[in-house]
Parts: sequence; C-alpha cells; structure tokens
Amino acid sequence: MSNQTLALLILVFPAAGALLLAGRGWRLPRAFTVVIGPGVVWASFAATLALFFGKASGDFTYWTWIKSGSFEVPFNLLVDNLSIFMCLVITGVGGLIVTYAVGYMEREDDPSYARFFCYMDVFVFSMLLLVLAGNFVFLIVGWALVGLSSYLLIGFWYQRHSAVVAARKAFVMNVIGDVGMILGTFVIFVNSHAVIFSAVFGPLRRGNQCASNGFCDEALRRVTDTPSLELAAFLLLVGAVAKSAQLPLHTWLPDAMEGPTPVSALIHAATMVTAGVYLVGRMHPIYEVAVYAHAAVAIVGAVTALFAATIAIVQVDIKRVLAYSTMSQIGYMFLAVGIGAYSFGFFHLLSHAFFKALLFMAAGNVIHAMHDEQDMRKYGGLWGQMRPTSVAFLVGSLSLVGVIPFVGFFSKEQILGAAFSKPDDSAVQLLWFIGFLTALITGFYTGRMWWLSFWGKPSPQRPVEHPHAPRLVMMVPVGILAVLATIGGFIQTRALGIGPSAVSDFLNPVVGPVRWEGGGGEIAVTFLTMILATALFAGALRLRPWSSYAPWAQRLLERKYYFDEIYDAVFVRPMDWVAGFALRDIERPVIDAAVVDTALVTRAGAASLSLTQSGYFRNYVLVFVAGAVVAAVILLVRAGS
Amino acid sequence: MSTLHIGDSQLDASWFLLLGAILFVLGAVGVLVRRNPLVILISIELMLNAANLTLVTFSRQLMNIEGQLFALMSMTVAAAEAVVGLAILVDIFRTRDAEDIDDLSELRG
Repeated sequence: MSNQTLALLILVFPAAGALLLAGRGWRLPRAFTVVIGPGVVWASFAATLALFFGKASGDFTYWTWIKSGSFEVPFNLLVDNLSIFMCLVITGVGGLIVTYAVGYMEREDDPSYARFFCYMDVFVFSMLLLVLAGNFVFLIVGWALVGLSSYLLIGFWYQRHSAVVAARKAFVMNVIGDVGMILGTFVIFVNSHAVIFSAVFGPLRRGNQCASNGFCDEALRRVTDTPSLELAAFLLLVGAVAKSAQLPLHTWLPDAMEGPTPVSALIHAATMVTAGVYLVGRMHPIYEVAVYAHAAVAIVGAVTALFAATIAIVQVDIKRVLAYSTMSQIGYMFLAVGIGAYSFGFFHLLSHAFFKALLFMAAGNVIHAMHDEQDMRKYGGLWGQMRPTSVAFLVGSLSLVGVIPFVGFFSKEQILGAAFSKPDDSAVQLLWFIGFLTALITGFYTGRMWWLSFWGKPSPQRPVEHPHAPRLVMMVPVGILAVLATIGGFIQTRALGIGPSAVSDFLNPVVGPVRWEGGGGEIAVTFLTMILATALFAGALRLRPWSSYAPWAQRLLERKYYFDEIYDAVFVRPMDWVAGFALRDIERPVIDAAVVDTALVTRAGAASLSLTQSGYFRNYVLVFVAGAVVAAVILLVRAGS
Repeated sequence: MSTLHIGDSQLDASWFLLLGAILFVLGAVGVLVRRNPLVILISIELMLNAANLTLVTFSRQLMNIEGQLFALMSMTVAAAEAVVGLAILVDIFRTRDAEDIDDLSELRG
C-alpha cells in the first residue's frame, strides 16, 4: 500500500467508525460498539506504525478543495517525522484509553454507550486531522473539530447541569483560540499568499538565508517582514494557549473534569491540550523569526506551570489535582518549545501522555470502585485493597514527580536542564528557576494526593467498604502504560548526559536540533531537583500544615487566584448587562415595536380597504355609476369652458 | 340642430337622443334599485338598447354607417351577455332561492 493511501487511512478509520456508530450503533448489540469503538483507533495505529517503519515522509495532495483565481486550498496531508510522532501518541495512547472506556462506561445504557464511542472516535479523528493537515485551512478545521468534540464529550452527561455549563465554557474558550488561529492565518496569507505549509515555510527559510547574505528580492523581503510575522505568531499563540489551557485562557480545563474519566484521560494525555505544543513546533520557522512571540511562549509556559502547580496543592478532588498537574506539565512543554528546545518539549509530550493517561485511568479505576466519589479525603487505605491500581498510580505519580528511572524524570529534567544551561540568556535562567520551583511543588502536591488516597486507614466517609477490583479490560491498558512509564524513559537518557536520544534524533530533521549542550552543572542541578522533589513527595503529609500560617494564601489558591470571579466580573457580567440593556431598551421598545406597529398599520389599512369589498352587487354598481356621472360632469364642464 | 328625415316625416334629432337618455337612466336606476336578478338583467338590456338608439341616431345625423355597424355589434354582445347572465342565474336558482341580489354577497372582503 502506498504511503499516500496509508496516510489517508489513518484519518478514514476513526471517521468511518464514528459514522457507523452514529448511524447504526445504538440499534445493534453492544458487542458491535465494543469492537468498532476502540477497533478503528487501533486500525489507525497500525497504519501509523506502517508509515513509521516505512520511514515515510511526503506532502500528499488528494484533491483541490477550493480554487478561486490564484487562491487554492488543496486537501493535503503532511507526513513527516513530527506528524508521525504525534499520530503515534494519539492513536497509541488514545487506543489504550478508548479500550479502557469499554470497561469504564459499562454502566451506560446502549444508546449512550454507542454515542460515547462515536464521540471518542470523532475526537481521535479531529486530532489526527489537526496534526496531519498540510495547510492552514485544514489545520483550522481540525482545530475547531477538536473543540467541538471536547464540547460533546465534556457535556456527555447532558442531564447534569454542571456538565453542560462546563462544556459550554470549554467551547467558548476554545473559540477564542480559534479566532486567534484564523486571524493569524490571515496575516500569514497576506504575507506569503499561500496557505500550504511548504509554500509558506519554504520562502520563509529562503528569506532568512537571503536576509543574512543581503540578496533579497521584493517578494522574499515581504515574506520575512518581521512585524507582521510577530503579529501572526502572537495570534497563533492565542490559539495554542486556548487549546492547551495555558494562562490566561485556562479556566475551562479544570471544569472539563465534568466529563467521564476516559474523556479526561483523552483530553489530557493523547489529544487536545498537546495541540498547542504541536502548533508551536509545527510553526517553528515563524517563531524562529518572531523572537518576541517565541519568548512569550516560554514565559506563558513557565508562569502557567507554577500557577497551576500552586493551585493543585489545595484541591481535594482527585481529578482536579490531575487537571492542574496537566496544565503545569503542558507549561513545561511550552517552556521547552519556547526556548527553542523543540524535541525536548515533544519528548515530554510523549512521556506526559504515558504517565498522565496512566494516572487518569488508575484514578478512574478508583472512582469506579468508589461509586463516583472523587473527593480524595474520603478514600484512604486503598493500598491494601486495590493493590494493582495503587502500584500503577504510584508509578504514574513518581513519573510525574520526576523520579529516576521513570519516564517523567528523563523528559522533565531534560527541559529544566536545557533552560538552565541555555547560554547568553539570563532571562531563561529565571524561567528555569520558576520551573525548578514548580518541580518541587509538583513533588508536594503529588505526594499529598498519593498518601491521602492510598495510604493510611480507610476514611470513615468512604462510600464503599470493600472496593471491587477493576475489570480486566480496564486493568490491561493501565498495566501497559505503567510499564511504558517505567521503562519508556530509556529511549532518551540525555538528561544524564549519556545514552540514546531517540526522540530528538527522530524529530530533529523537522524541528531542528537543540543548539546548545548541557554541562556537568546541569546534571548536578538535575539530581538536586529530583532529590528535593522526591523528599517533598515522601514527606508531603508530614510537613506542618502551612495553611495555618497563611489562611489568606489557602483561600487565594482555593479560589484559583479568583480567575473565574475576575472573568465573571470583567466579561460575563458586563456582557449580561449589555445584553439586558439591549433587550429592555432597544430590542423591545424600538425593534419589536417597529415590527409590531408595521403589522398594526397594515392590518388597520386592510380592514378599512376591505369595507369597499362589501360583496353587494348594487354597491359596486352605485360606485360605478357615480364615477361615470362625475366623469361626465367633468367632461361637460371642460367642454363648456 | 339638424333634422332627420324618416319616411315622409321630419323629426329633430334631439328627440331621439332625449329618448335614449331617458331609457338609459331608467335602466341605470333599475339596476340600482331593483333586487330581483332577472329584472336587473332586463334593466341592463334597456341601457344597452338606449345606447344603440343613440348610436343609430348619430349615424343617421352624420351620414356615417359605422354607428349602425356598431349598434349591430352591440346587439351581439348584448345577446351573448344575456346568455351568460341567464345561465349563471339559472345555475344559482337551481341550488338556492335567490330572489334578492343582496343575498349573493359571499365575496365580501
């Protein structure tokens, strides 16, 4: 099979699965859904593997979607190492999550069950379209479809008011990002008159070259016009920030926990929030030129990492802790791609996909066994009763904290090391310090979560005395991910200064190498970070309660820095007021009144005119004769004068 | 005023015109005030014939044959109108009793 067909098949499988489930799924036996739902994702995974092992690359054009004069939008898929890497993460980890959902969603009735897997397949399809798209238009299509499918899945339990509100919030936040994406694409189109990636980035590279040796023609100079590239890069960053739940468009992600747990795993691990990192990586030719926007990426990432980690300290809902840790880890990825260490960011994306999917699905096992109780203060003592799940969760936690030899150690420390050792840039060292602090806080809140949930005695408020063991279909994906999170780091051990660096070698042809080398100091700092973070993890519950010293700080964190309240006061309420004003003082008295009055006048006119249509023959004759008489009189008078 | 020669006698043309006018007004008043549909039809015939008389009078006075031709034409139309009108009336009488033209007012606006 040619690479061109394989690339299309990656998209066709989940799309076909979603259509099948949407059309027939709920009328057929559940076995049908169980096979189709995860099956199509695994089929996509197989196609991706075929491309991966075939060392495929290329820009495949299938048909022309829009053609208007010189403007042309083809449907083309860009297959290179970056998109194959993303597809592997999406379909591989996504496949495990969708398989896990077979067990997790078993309590749903048949139509909801089929609907759930239909949405999941749509989600996987949208994300694959996003990463495979070879031009800006289809990138935006995939981008918007991801927003739509997250809306559908977060609001999956649509009978629950809070779920509907959370879904709407996620959608609105995502649409803000979509607008940024679209405007950024406009700016790029104005500059280079193209929407295909290769047609945009090729002249950009040539323009950068000629700018350095001084021989540029007019067209190339326009392409590399730095202010407009900065504008485009900032607008694209708005899209990335919204999709990846970074400051200040992050408020939707914690609320997205209203969806079923497999959805959270899919949003946080395999799809959606990593889209922003992918976008910056894919657009790296622009960010190489647009240095201010590039710096903004790193700053947003570092600040979000710290911001989210501090909030995670005080959360009591196990899924919310995980949600804030996702924000924090995505912040690390933004930091990495923001300082130009692209392949390190993508390695952390992969590693985060492993351990965050693992954490969410292990947490899902617990929630499932606890009859949907998510408050971890009401767990306790699960270590003795749910041993496999507890071990898996511990593996994920240690990976999140960054303990050697788990995958999170290698990926996170590599990013911190790169920030620490980046030469000639003291601002990046400040960002490193923020990342360092975040790593310590991560150790603390992860430890708090783990000890509270799994250690100690069972809480007296625990809803279930003897939790049931998870089904095999839920345990196997967790087990696979636990193994991957344990040994996956050894594909790239550059954080230790030695060993392979498979991910960087694979991605460097696309995103470019990291231009500086770490030194011995970097490794020392790495181990210092790890030891401190591990100590905080181990002693999380033995620390004296800090909140008694600073109750205001705890309140600040519990209110999530008042972001929701601020947005409510700055955007929601003024909009409500404007809408109310428009309704009360414009819509009803002016527009409605104009419409109603027009109708009233017309009706009154019709009523008076209809009097002439009396239906009495003699009336008509009388009018006729009177008219004739008047006409005759006029004629006579005029003849006489 | 001109004089018309009819056989051996002479008569002033205005007498004919006056007769035509009186007949026409009688017809018009008949259409307006009578309620029986049949009588209304007859009144219309009266008006048509008054017009015919006027046409023929002017034709003789001006020695122009077109007026007479037009009178013939008008009779044809009158005959056709009578046929159609009577047919409608017969049809109405079949289904209901319509002694009063005011009862036929279903097309009120």
